[in-house]
Amino acid sequence: MKSIVVLSGKGGVGKSSIAASLAVALSKEKNIVCADCDVDASNLSLLFALSEDKYEEWNPLSTNQIATVDKEKCISCGQCIKTCYFKALKLKDNIPTVDEFGCEGCGACELICPANAIKLKDINNAHIGYTKTKYGFSIASAQLEPGNSGSGKVVAEVKKKANEISQKADILIVDSSAGIGCPVIASVTGNDYAIIVTEPTPSGFSDLKKALEVVNHFRIKKGIIINKFDLNNKFTEKICSFAEENQIKILKKIPFDKEFVHAMTKMIPIIDYNKKYEVLFDDIKNKVITEVIE
Amino acid sequence: MVEIIAITGGKGGTGKSTVATALAYELSKSNSVLLVDADVDCPNDHLLLNINREELNTVYQRIPKIDLNKCTKCGQCGKVCKTKALITIKDRNPIFVQEQCNGCGSCKIACPEDAISWQDKEIGKLYKGSRDNLNLLSGDLKTNQPISEFIVNHLNEEIEKIKDNYEYIIIDTAAGTHCPVIAAFELASKVIAVTEPTPLGVHDLEIILRLLKKINKYGTVIVNRFDIGNIQKVNELITKYNTRIIFKIPFSKDIVDSYSKGNPIQIKNILEVLKQ
Repeated sequence: MKSIVVLSGKGGVGKSSIAASLAVALSKEKNIVCADCDVDASNLSLLFALSEDKYEEWNPLSTNQIATVDKEKCISCGQCIKTCYFKALKLKDNIPTVDEFGCEGCGACELICPANAIKLKDINNAHIGYTKTKYGFSIASAQLEPGNSGSGKVVAEVKKKANEISQKADILIVDSSAGIGCPVIASVTGNDYAIIVTEPTPSGFSDLKKALEVVNHFRIKKGIIINKFDLNNKFTEKICSFAEENQIKILKKIPFDKEFVHAMTKMIPIIDYNKKYEVLFDDIKNKVITEVIE
Repeated sequence: MVEIIAITGGKGGTGKSTVATALAYELSKSNSVLLVDADVDCPNDHLLLNINREELNTVYQRIPKIDLNKCTKCGQCGKVCKTKALITIKDRNPIFVQEQCNGCGSCKIACPEDAISWQDKEIGKLYKGSRDNLNLLSGDLKTNQPISEFIVNHLNEEIEKIKDNYEYIIIDTAAGTHCPVIAAFELASKVIAVTEPTPLGVHDLEIILRLLKKINKYGTVIVNRFDIGNIQKVNELITKYNTRIIFKIPFSKDIVDSYSKGNPIQIKNILEVLKQ
C-alpha cells in the first residue's frame, strides 16, 4: 500500500475538503482508505455527513498513562515535585497531586519516589474507530479527549487502524492536523507522498515553508496545491516561482469559490456537489497516481 | 489591572488570528496592548500586521548526554524511556534520537552508573516587535521539534514579567485542543472561541467548550462569516454549554483581500467584544 499525507501548516486552508474530494476521485479506480489524523478536531468524516453516532466502531483508546499517588505510602518528601519536568505535580495538604492535563506519563516521579508511592496507570485519552462512506471506502479516525496529551501516539493508532480495516487498499490517504508539532510529525512520518495545501496569503506561504521542512526531514516526495489561488494572483506567482526554484511540482491551482463552503455545509464532498469540480479533482488524481505509483 | 484574553477556536482557519490582530490593533489606538502569538507551530500575527520581528531569546530543552566511558550498556535507560528517544540493544551503546526526547529525565534517574548528564537542545525562539502603539510577542517552534507547549510556557513566563505594563494582553492560540492550547489559556481571565457556522466549525467549537468546562474557564463565542452557514447549530451549542455569542462577523471579501495582501485587518465595531 502507498500512502499520501495531506498537510498545510496553516489551518483552514482546505486540507480536509481537498483530501475528501481527492479520496472520492481516487476511489473510482483504486482501492483506498483514509486516516483522519487531526485527532484534536477530527472532521474528515463530517464532510461525508458521517458523525460519530454513525460509525461502524467507536471505542475508548488508551495510549497514555498518568501518575497516581498512594497517600498512605507517601512520605511527603517532595522528590517527585522536584523531578517533574512538566510541573505536573503540586503539593496540596502535604500530598503531591497530579495535574492530569500536565502529566506526560513519563514515569520519572515513579522512578524517583523512595516510598514506592507513585504508580503510572492507563487512562482512556481518546476514542478510535472507523466509518464507511457511500463511495465504498472507509475512514479511520480518532478524537482525543479535550485537554489530554499523547496526540502523536493517537495519530499512530489511527494509521494502524486504517491499515487494519482495509488490508487490501492500494492507497492510504492521511489527513494531518494544522501546525508542525507532535501530531503532524506523527502524521507525516512513513508516507510515500505528501500534498501540501497552501493559499496565496503571507501566512499561507510562511506555513507552507514550515510544512515543507517537516516533509523534507522525512525525505518524502511532495507536491503543492494552491487553494483559492485567485485571491491574490501576485502571491500565487510568488508561490509558483518558489516551487520552481525548489523543484516542487504544483499539482493544481484551485479557485476561490463559495461553493466549497456550501458543499461543506451540506456535508457533500465538492467533487460530488458541483460537477465542474469532477474534472479538476480527476486531474489531481491522475497526477497523484503518476507521482506515487510510477 | 491587566486584562488577559485568549482567542481560540478548535478548528483551523476560523479567523482566530484575524480577530486577535484586529482587536489588538484597534484597542492599541487608545490603550497599552500586548498581542501574544501563541500559535507557535505556525505564528502568523506578525505577517498579518506586517511587523518585522526581532529576536528576544532562544528556547532550549534539556536532553541527556551519555558518558560512554561510564556506560556499561545495561539498557536501563532505554527501558524507562517512554518516548522511544533512547533505544538500547544488548551490548551496544544506547542510540539517542533527540527529536523524540521530551527531557523528562527518567533515563538519568534509571542509570545505575551516573553516566547521564544534561545538555541543551534549541527548540525554538521568542520574538518581539511592534506596529504603531501595539506590541507583539511571538513564539516560534523549530521544525521537527515536537513539543509546542514548551515554547508557550516560555511565552507565559515572559508575559508574567511584563504584564503590569499593559492594560490588555490578547493571546492568539493555535488550532486544536491539545497541550499548547491549554498552556496558552493558563494566564487568561477570559477565553473567546472564534467559530464559523459550518458542520466542521460547530464540531470543533463543541470540543473547545468541553475543554473549557473541564478546566473551569468561562468562554464566550464569536461567530465569523455568520451569514454563510447555519447558525442554528451554533445556537444549540451556546445553550448546551450555557455561554453567549458576543459578536458576529459577516463574510466579507474585504477581509479576505486585506488578509491576502498582508494589510492589518479592520473589523467594524470589534471593540464591542470587550463591552460584553
